[in-house]
Amino acid sequence: MVYSNVKFLLAIGSKEYSEPTLIVGSLIAKTFKADLSLVYVGEKPKQIFEGRIKLSRDSLAKWEIYHPGIEVLKWAFKYLQSSGYLETTDGNGFNPENIVEEHNRYRLVLQGSFGRDVDLILREGKIIDELRKECFEQEYTLTIIGGSKKRRMAHDLVQYLPTSIFVVQNLDPTKQYKLLLCVDDSKATKSAVRFGATIAKNQGMFVNTLTVSKTTQFGKGYRGAAKAAGRYLKSQKIPFEQHFITGDPVKTFLDFAGDDHIIMMGDSKQSPLIKFFFGSKPIKTLKKASCPILIVR
Amino acid sequence: MIANLIYWITQKKWLIIATTFGFFLYIIPTPQGLSINGYHTLIIVAVALILIVFEPVPLPAVAFFILFMQVIITDATPNEVASSFMSDAVFFIMGSLMLAVAIVKQGLDKRLALGIIRMTGNKTWRIVAGFTAISAILSSFIGEHTVAAMMMPVGLTLIRNTSKDPSKIIKLSSILLFSIAYGATIGSVGTPSGGGRNVIMLEYWSDFGIGHISYLTWMKYAYPMVILQIPFTVLILWWTFTPEKKTIDTGVRKLVIQVAKSGKMTGKQILSIFLFVLVFIGWIFFGEKIGLGFVALIGVFLYLIFGLVEWSDLNRSTNWGVILLFGATISIGLAMKKTGAAEWLAMGALNTLNSFFHNIDYSRAGIAVILTGVLSNILSSSATIAVVGPIVLNLGGDPVLYGFATAIASAFGYFTVVAAPACMIIYSSGMVKTKDFLRAGWKMGIMSVFMLFLVSFFWWPLLQ
Repeated sequence: MVYSNVKFLLAIGSKEYSEPTLIVGSLIAKTFKADLSLVYVGEKPKQIFEGRIKLSRDSLAKWEIYHPGIEVLKWAFKYLQSSGYLETTDGNGFNPENIVEEHNRYRLVLQGSFGRDVDLILREGKIIDELRKECFEQEYTLTIIGGSKKRRMAHDLVQYLPTSIFVVQNLDPTKQYKLLLCVDDSKATKSAVRFGATIAKNQGMFVNTLTVSKTTQFGKGYRGAAKAAGRYLKSQKIPFEQHFITGDPVKTFLDFAGDDHIIMMGDSKQSPLIKFFFGSKPIKTLKKASCPILIVR
Repeated sequence: MIANLIYWITQKKWLIIATTFGFFLYIIPTPQGLSINGYHTLIIVAVALILIVFEPVPLPAVAFFILFMQVIITDATPNEVASSFMSDAVFFIMGSLMLAVAIVKQGLDKRLALGIIRMTGNKTWRIVAGFTAISAILSSFIGEHTVAAMMMPVGLTLIRNTSKDPSKIIKLSSILLFSIAYGATIGSVGTPSGGGRNVIMLEYWSDFGIGHISYLTWMKYAYPMVILQIPFTVLILWWTFTPEKKTIDTGVRKLVIQVAKSGKMTGKQILSIFLFVLVFIGWIFFGEKIGLGFVALIGVFLYLIFGLVEWSDLNRSTNWGVILLFGATISIGLAMKKTGAAEWLAMGALNTLNSFFHNIDYSRAGIAVILTGVLSNILSSSATIAVVGPIVLNLGGDPVLYGFATAIASAFGYFTVVAAPACMIIYSSGMVKTKDFLRAGWKMGIMSVFMLFLVSFFWWPLLQ
């Protein structure tokens, strides 16, 4: 499967918490040869003070003191350089003064050539709102974001972002992870299998496919989807095992995944209204998972 | 489509709540003792307050809502609403926002840094005292956000020069930034030009027929509050954020070197200070006759014609939405007075509080100080004065004294980030947390209420 013209959006919040997200996000972007946009979403000042905050920031810029988000983007840019994701070690590419305002966001214009397309974006507002605007304006394929303690976050990410979502929570970059492909009869399962296979192949990961039925009977759709997944993984020469388990799907996914898998599943086929009121398998899994999870649309 | 609709509803829930609440109030019977126009005015106020606090729509939209609803659901004519929208107070807010841009553009912050450091030396407590005192005194004349914008680079540079690892000097960072924010906040009540809310109160006194208060008279009443609060603010901040370093020698030395590079004071900087002194003199001697707002506009005019600031800079850095909002809130404040809504609310609040306090003066003071202080921490000080001002001036007693108490109490916004522009400015640096405002804020709140009590009982009677 060849992916072309894909754009990934990677949300970072701080040096302290975003390092695993940045490491894994840049690895995946490299795997898919994707254009990568790093976005920092900062808190927006109350509207009543906006002009005055702007005045204060203009004053600070004269002293070469910049928005906290610019410091985080600078750190992320330097990481991408030092990790080899960007093909130059020229440290002068990042200049905080080269910031342009466009579409209610700020973009740092990087000087020089880095061998890959990277955008550094600064936005202010509510995180989901800003990520959603960014996704609609720039047509990303995948949004990569760190885990959050906020209860509604999982729901809002799956419900409102139009892209696939990779939530990098409790990820240890030094650990060897396996891929848990959750297979059912949803349309998005097919995309999830292909997406997962590309990652597994490039990162040398072992794949477990898991099909869960609430009854002992596995319907035709489930069996067909599992068979197709197996066939595809085999054709890609990816080592894998297939599992069929009876039980509650969400609980089974989580028990099977433990802390050494990255869960990958397709988005639910339910209507947005049902998802809003009753949730969906991906939403419930994401809410309860303590490992990284990728939901493919 | 459905997903977008659900998203819109979740994002605009406060708009839906506010309009539903407003509609519910509209269809229920008018409360006893309140005119229908007064009731409808209060509905507009209630809906606008929800929209201002939760911000589901842009501020100019709230301003437009306040204006057109007065024409639609009260008996106000379009021309009445239009004329109450534009007043000297609105010109003052517009002028002072523009003067702030013009002053900050001159790069006087480096001069300020050098001046403060020369006075304070490298002892941390002296620097904190210097930051608090200078911020308070300057903000009483040029407004708190102007001072915060000029002092922030000085504070942050000092912090950055002291340690490359911010986690090692968390308390030092907090005390320096809070000395700027709280210093600017306590100073902002000192003169009418310290903040838009002061001029809004002057406007209400004048429009309600209570009288004209001059710039100097205001200072006589309010400036003792500024002076008294400075040392206590320093003590409270030291007690709350006792810094890790008692001297910041390296930080100060690096700052002096950095500032010294900027050379001698330029002609533009000298002219800029001279023009501001002219504006200040204008406020004192001509403010009563031509209005503080018009003096501010003359100042902006002078800065423009001498080329000290470009119109494009003023246009870019002035928040026109805020000006529209203040125009609209003053307009609804005047409507509250005209329709009797302010008096009805004042009497209702007074009757309720009288069951707790048997002395009516305590009830009045409670409404003036506590209600204003609490609302300021939620709404912002100027919006609070615009709404609470008409109620307080209808409480009975001496409206001038209660007006002063209200205007001063509106600066007690120490607890939240949203209370004052200076608080929001230091918060936007990312170096202080919301809980820091609570840690220091409750002590500041008690201290300020106590100082106001002292000033109003011992100083104000001497001026009568």
